[in-house]
Amino acid sequence: MDLENQKRVKELTEKYGAENVVVLIGAAEAEAAGLAAETVTAGDPTFAGPLAGVQLGLRVYHAVEPEFKNAVDADVYDEQIGMMEMVLDVDEIIKEVKTIRDQYCKFND
Amino acid sequence: MTNTQPNKMRGGKQMGKIKVVHYINQFFAGIGGEEKADYKPEVREGIVGPGMSLNAGFKGEAEIVATVICGDSYFNENLETAKQEVIEMIKKYKPDLFIAGPAFNAGRYGVACGTITDAVQKELGIPALTGMYIENPGADMFKKSVYIISTKNSAAGMRDAVGKMVPLALKIAKGEQLGSPEEEGYISRGIRKNYFAEKRGSERAIEMMLKKLKGEDFVTEFPMPDFDRVKPNPAVKDITKAKIALVTSGGIVPKGNPDHIESSSASKYGKYDIEGFENLTSETHQTAHGGYDPVYANEDPDRVLPVDVLREMEEEGKIGSLHRYYYATVGNGTSVANAKAFASTFAKELVADGVDAVILTST
Amino acid sequence: MVKEIERAGIPAVHMCTVVPISLTVGANRIVPTIAIPHPLGNPSLDPAEEKTLRRKLVERALKALSTEVDGQTVFEE
Repeated sequence: MDLENQKRVKELTEKYGAENVVVLIGAAEAEAAGLAAETVTAGDPTFAGPLAGVQLGLRVYHAVEPEFKNAVDADVYDEQIGMMEMVLDVDEIIKEVKTIRDQYCKFND
Repeated sequence: MTNTQPNKMRGGKQMGKIKVVHYINQFFAGIGGEEKADYKPEVREGIVGPGMSLNAGFKGEAEIVATVICGDSYFNENLETAKQEVIEMIKKYKPDLFIAGPAFNAGRYGVACGTITDAVQKELGIPALTGMYIENPGADMFKKSVYIISTKNSAAGMRDAVGKMVPLALKIAKGEQLGSPEEEGYISRGIRKNYFAEKRGSERAIEMMLKKLKGEDFVTEFPMPDFDRVKPNPAVKDITKAKIALVTSGGIVPKGNPDHIESSSASKYGKYDIEGFENLTSETHQTAHGGYDPVYANEDPDRVLPVDVLREMEEEGKIGSLHRYYYATVGNGTSVANAKAFASTFAKELVADGVDAVILTST
Repeated sequence: MVKEIERAGIPAVHMCTVVPISLTVGANRIVPTIAIPHPLGNPSLDPAEEKTLRRKLVERALKALSTEVDGQTVFEE
């Protein structure tokens, strides 16, 4: 996750509290998705940004995950994400992000 | 946990916690990106950035007491003085161990890490190591003299890199015997180590030969070094009659980057027409390269691709002509294989177009 | 890339700032340049001076192309 966004997530979490923040990511590949997810839970794994060594443990989901898909209007989802859903390796991404969440997210819901 | 045991003496060296000094660049120090690559050397007490990961890995056996930070461009543009400045900073801490990077595929960072690790070994006599991707130019330059852990090609490989750097670092700090490059994870140094094999040489040679003949996999005992040098071509006889072509790895492309050459790990190159261009400006051209601060190149692309000067010289008769096409790619983390492939393809066109000589500019 | 161009039979000169990299990579004719973000420029000079500087470096590059070399050679002037 780039440094600007790391800074934003950190500041928003400090302002509103980790329990009130959900991070929604849209990376096109599982590896990138995993890195972003890890950054907002266990800390920046590249140790290059403001979240290096900072464990926010936030709830993080990828736009193609069922938890998100089922929580939003089906038509809007289809319009905005339908196309990408066909092209991305959805299973890989879900697996990657869920694994990170199970390991590092501090909220069990 | 306080140290209530008597300090063990080992060859005159106290076995307390191993003191480590760590070297990183401006990016990993959180100071900034390319725009801060000219950051002068600075030392901070304790741990910064990736040092956290290294330190956690040491699990109390070693401790990073200070971190030296230096901008990649500053170091590379002032190799001798920067090296001395940084050495002085490290010296003050009298560390037992020095670690630089890891630099992954960042070229200038790798050169800096290699240079400083080599200098620390030579001038301060301290065990030292660094880490970078095998294609990093710093690896070729320093693999013979320095332990370089082989890492992945991006910071996404930080955990993997640290996982290999920590054990090797502790071993060299304690003066322990090391295994082969494959076992320890460092880039082969080309050092021959004699060992006693169970089978005699002739038997091993025949076994290998049989494997080769059968088309089976075999492992050579001594890889021939790959020098891959090219003999210089003869000089141009009369430069005033020569057709000169420009090539750049600095990513100068027409404004808008119509071919979408990537800002790093380029998968393609572009061939662009400069017929009628007296010079390049911020209106007509830009840089696509993501590995250096683009401000100056975007303000005036002639600073990377000197069309203005060559056009003048063409008009004055100092050169025969400036070839109407130039070739550009982005040299940032672009694989050796790709760069080679691009160039061998367009070199054929250059020959066909009657180009007599090439000026290749890099950043 | 320099080596591939030379392999095709065309003499090439590498203008770059970090000379040790060029040497490692195997370029035969090398001209050191000003700085990484502006190898053939210097934004702290006024445009006319900058152009003169650029011209000097390019002339050195042409000289390198016109000089016979045995192996890797760095042209510092």
